Amino acid sequence: MLRATLKGMASRKARLVLTSLAVVLGTMFVAAAMVLTATMEKSVSGVIADAFTGVDAVVTSAEDPAAAQGNTPSATLIPADVLDTVRGVDGVDTADGDVSGQVNAIGDDGKLVGAFAPTIGFNWNDQSTGYNEIRDGRGPQADDEVIVSAQFVTDAGLSIGDTVTAYSYSADRADYEIVGVFGLSGDRDSLAGETQMGFTTAEAQRLLTQGENAYMTIYVTGDAATGDIADAIGADYRVQTGEEASEEAAEGFAAVADIMGYIFLGFGLVAVFVSVFLIINTFTIIVAQRQRELALLRAIGAARGQVVGSVLAEAAVIGVIASIAGLGLGVLLGWGLSQLVSSSAMGGLPVELEVPPTSLWALAVGIGVTVLSAIIPAVRASGVPPVAAMREAVNPPKPLRGITIAGLAVTAVGGVLVALGLTDNLGDLGLTGFLTGVGIAFVGITLLTPILSRPLVALLGAVMSWSFSGRLGKLNAGRNPRRTAITASALMIAVALVTGIATIVSSFKETTAELADQNLDSDLIVMGQQGANIPTFAPETLAEIKALPDVSAVGDMYGEFFGAEVDGRQTALLASEDLPTSLGIFSGTVAEGSADLPDDGLAVNESAAADYGVELGDTVPVTFADGTEVPLRVSAILDDALLTDGWWVAPAQIEHFTVPKPMQAYIQVADGADVDAVQDQVDDILADEPEVSVTNNADFVEQQTSQLDILLNSVQILLALAIIIAIIGVVNTLVLSVLERTRELGLLRAIGMTRGQARRMITVESVIICLFGAVLGIAVGIGLGWTVQQALEEEGLTSFALPWDLIVTYLVAAVAVGLLAAIAPAARAAKLNVLNAIAYE
Amino acid sequence: MPLANPPAPQLTRTRSAVTAANLWRAYGSGEAQVVALRDVSVQFASGAFTAIMGPSGSGKSTLMHCLAGLDTTDRGTVRIGETAITGLNDKALTKLRRDKIGFIFQQFNLLPTLTAEENILLPASIAGTKADPEWIARIIATLDLADRLTHKPTELSGGQQQRVACARALATRPEVVFADEPTGNLDTRSSGEVLRFLRRSVDDFGQTIVMVTHDPSAAAHADRVVFLADGQIVEDLHRPTADAVIDTMRGFENRVPLAGEAR
Repeated sequence: MLRATLKGMASRKARLVLTSLAVVLGTMFVAAAMVLTATMEKSVSGVIADAFTGVDAVVTSAEDPAAAQGNTPSATLIPADVLDTVRGVDGVDTADGDVSGQVNAIGDDGKLVGAFAPTIGFNWNDQSTGYNEIRDGRGPQADDEVIVSAQFVTDAGLSIGDTVTAYSYSADRADYEIVGVFGLSGDRDSLAGETQMGFTTAEAQRLLTQGENAYMTIYVTGDAATGDIADAIGADYRVQTGEEASEEAAEGFAAVADIMGYIFLGFGLVAVFVSVFLIINTFTIIVAQRQRELALLRAIGAARGQVVGSVLAEAAVIGVIASIAGLGLGVLLGWGLSQLVSSSAMGGLPVELEVPPTSLWALAVGIGVTVLSAIIPAVRASGVPPVAAMREAVNPPKPLRGITIAGLAVTAVGGVLVALGLTDNLGDLGLTGFLTGVGIAFVGITLLTPILSRPLVALLGAVMSWSFSGRLGKLNAGRNPRRTAITASALMIAVALVTGIATIVSSFKETTAELADQNLDSDLIVMGQQGANIPTFAPETLAEIKALPDVSAVGDMYGEFFGAEVDGRQTALLASEDLPTSLGIFSGTVAEGSADLPDDGLAVNESAAADYGVELGDTVPVTFADGTEVPLRVSAILDDALLTDGWWVAPAQIEHFTVPKPMQAYIQVADGADVDAVQDQVDDILADEPEVSVTNNADFVEQQTSQLDILLNSVQILLALAIIIAIIGVVNTLVLSVLERTRELGLLRAIGMTRGQARRMITVESVIICLFGAVLGIAVGIGLGWTVQQALEEEGLTSFALPWDLIVTYLVAAVAVGLLAAIAPAARAAKLNVLNAIAYE
Repeated sequence: MPLANPPAPQLTRTRSAVTAANLWRAYGSGEAQVVALRDVSVQFASGAFTAIMGPSGSGKSTLMHCLAGLDTTDRGTVRIGETAITGLNDKALTKLRRDKIGFIFQQFNLLPTLTAEENILLPASIAGTKADPEWIARIIATLDLADRLTHKPTELSGGQQQRVACARALATRPEVVFADEPTGNLDTRSSGEVLRFLRRSVDDFGQTIVMVTHDPSAAAHADRVVFLADGQIVEDLHRPTADAVIDTMRGFENRVPLAGEAR
């Protein structure tokens, strides 16, 4: 029996290659995801372990840095006397205090160095030289000297002998002479794309600890027990061994690779899911072709089980071969992706290939999916009575009631899960519930596609029916709803996912545009990209902009986001040099009192006032981050408005802010003045402001949403994979159609259908199937996008917008795919030998 | 019946609808070669009903396929009306089949997606022309299909399906209708209906029909029966009766051993 199976397979190579390809692609992505994750983890932990070489213990603040973020940085600092205590512990050879944090440096081009990766400032000490290798020059010996990393030299365009300006959020600008350049061990310029500046300890503390003589971390060498050190310095500090600290640091870095791994795994699973349809269809074809052979086997005494076994054996052979190929290619892809991630996001980290044992799962998935998908056609094949199969192959259309009811039920279950997942009813499992729901809903909708195919195919076909061969193609497409549906479903899933994401992205864009439109009465905006530090600019710049002849009004905003308290509760504070003008530009209105605040005045929106239980004229204690405590009087209550909600203090209080500089300016250009010209003038004024730039409203919206476009493009590229599988599925189905209808085609050719007409007939069938899949996918995708938008409406995603340009693109692409998929089957139909086709049985 | 007289091309006063001259057709090569037609020359008169008979492998189907432009010939010429079809390319042959030839097959070969009426109008639809409605109405009335026009083939009996196929073959008023075992899949009653219609279409409409059959009673409806054996015409009967056909067949079955398989 196996022999007969293998021989049969050899005679159907092309079909098997197509099916295998689907399995290969799916397995490849699953394997690549696992290899990527494992490889990055290994590579990163290797590097981090290097960094901790020779470090025996690490002391940090016991305060969780993440939880402490809102507090003053001093909460996580280790005072200098603790370092002395550590040095005194028995067995401690050396102990070095480390100060590090983000700084801003201005590059050769006048803009901030490292737009995407941070610039890290730290204190250059003896410990630094173990892991860092001086390539040129020396370390800093005076407070106005700095040693920079090789990546800094590349990014900033500055090198030894040059002067660099740097500052931090708490320290003003200062100039430093670059006295040295260092690289990282392993001849690397950077760990993960970041740039580094090494200062003297005193200067690092001025920049990063607000001048306090304190450290973030203490690195200890020697054989002192961590317990002894902990006992000596008390419970405010955490003591780890070098190894523990290394692992913890590696985990943070590997998280990036993990996320990418999950994304790839997700797409791999989508590919596998889509492959299921293709495999089911292919085996249906193979079984149809073998129907007589199988019936003959049954007639001469093969049991049903043997027939099923024969088909499953074929599936297993394909599954094994394709999965092994997929695994091999997946390892290659995973390695390639690791290189890509390393060079683009990890500063050329040396990649150590790691093929984890878990990647064997990809093998199991590939084989399992293939065999499981083949079961349905196999069982169906074995159910054909021998005598029936020996006669002309007739496939009476089966009723669609059962499958439709099942589809409705499954879709409903999926929908409920999606709803629950999006409405926070599942707690931590929300995202899992949502994704599972989407998956289940896809299965349900797939079951519904046969019943949907009837009206939709008729409708789509009506457009194509202008020629007779087109009409025949339409009729053929509607002939076997199940097959048309399952073929189109593969395409539907891919299109639904991209359309869903595109819908969410366009809704975000629309929301942003509307926000800008409705709430912003300005022509130009001065602001910077949000980084770890909030971008600001000099207050004098604001005055210069106001002085421009064509500027009619300027709204401005200062902010204090950490460490301020109103009535004992932590909250952000806002300020404007000219609150009445700013309110006008931000579409804010005063409900009570006056926005022209006295020095001890306070303005607040209605909701916040109600929340704090304050009214006009009340006096409220306000504490600034610098520790100043003043009683302020509520002198204005503002109507709730998106951009003006919160506590506003008078300009006189700005000096107490951590960063007493404006964050944003909104410029109104005088009527009739040239906005572009004003933008150029403002641009000139901002030449010395590295953190911010001026944009017009349209660019502003574009800037706010550009990240989303990148996301959408990545998703589209990855889903192209699923689309390739779907195309293979369409080709398979068409080949099956041509095979099954050989006699019909022969007749049509015999009574005068030209080859061109025959080709057109198949092509129309193909295009209809693809369009059906695309239309369905677009509908499902819009539904998906709408659901998510509704769920996020509360969070501010207020507008729903359809990505019309993309929808049209997808429809055009579907037609193109249909034409492409039809090429081979149509050629086959056209080349058909009329005589053989008529004699074909 | 003696076989002494070698068959000669039939020269009649009427115009010839199909003419074959010195046809040769062989399949395969070397030792496996089977010669299906050996120097066959035959004419089919316009407005006549001719049956081609012969044992399995005699070459009767090959002859019909060559005459209808479905198969190529190795040597010799075929003319449909005034058109020589040997040497025509696929496109010209396709057009010729569409415009000048009608087909009736043993398996009916109706398109399952189309209604009976659409099947009848199929050749005109493919050509992108409009069929003559009066003519179509007349065929439909003759075949008694008026109340079956909106049915799909699966809703029709075998006899009804073959009648639809007959209507389709005649719909474009072709030069000649080739019928390949048209009653092979039908019961006696339906066979009779189909044969009587073919007869009537010759008598009433002047249609030319060439029918391949191995059923003597079917052949008896024809004006003339041409017998093939081993790729050659061995007998040519005019105004045959079923008994005469049976006698002839019995005659050469005794003399001619069964030939090898030909297509």
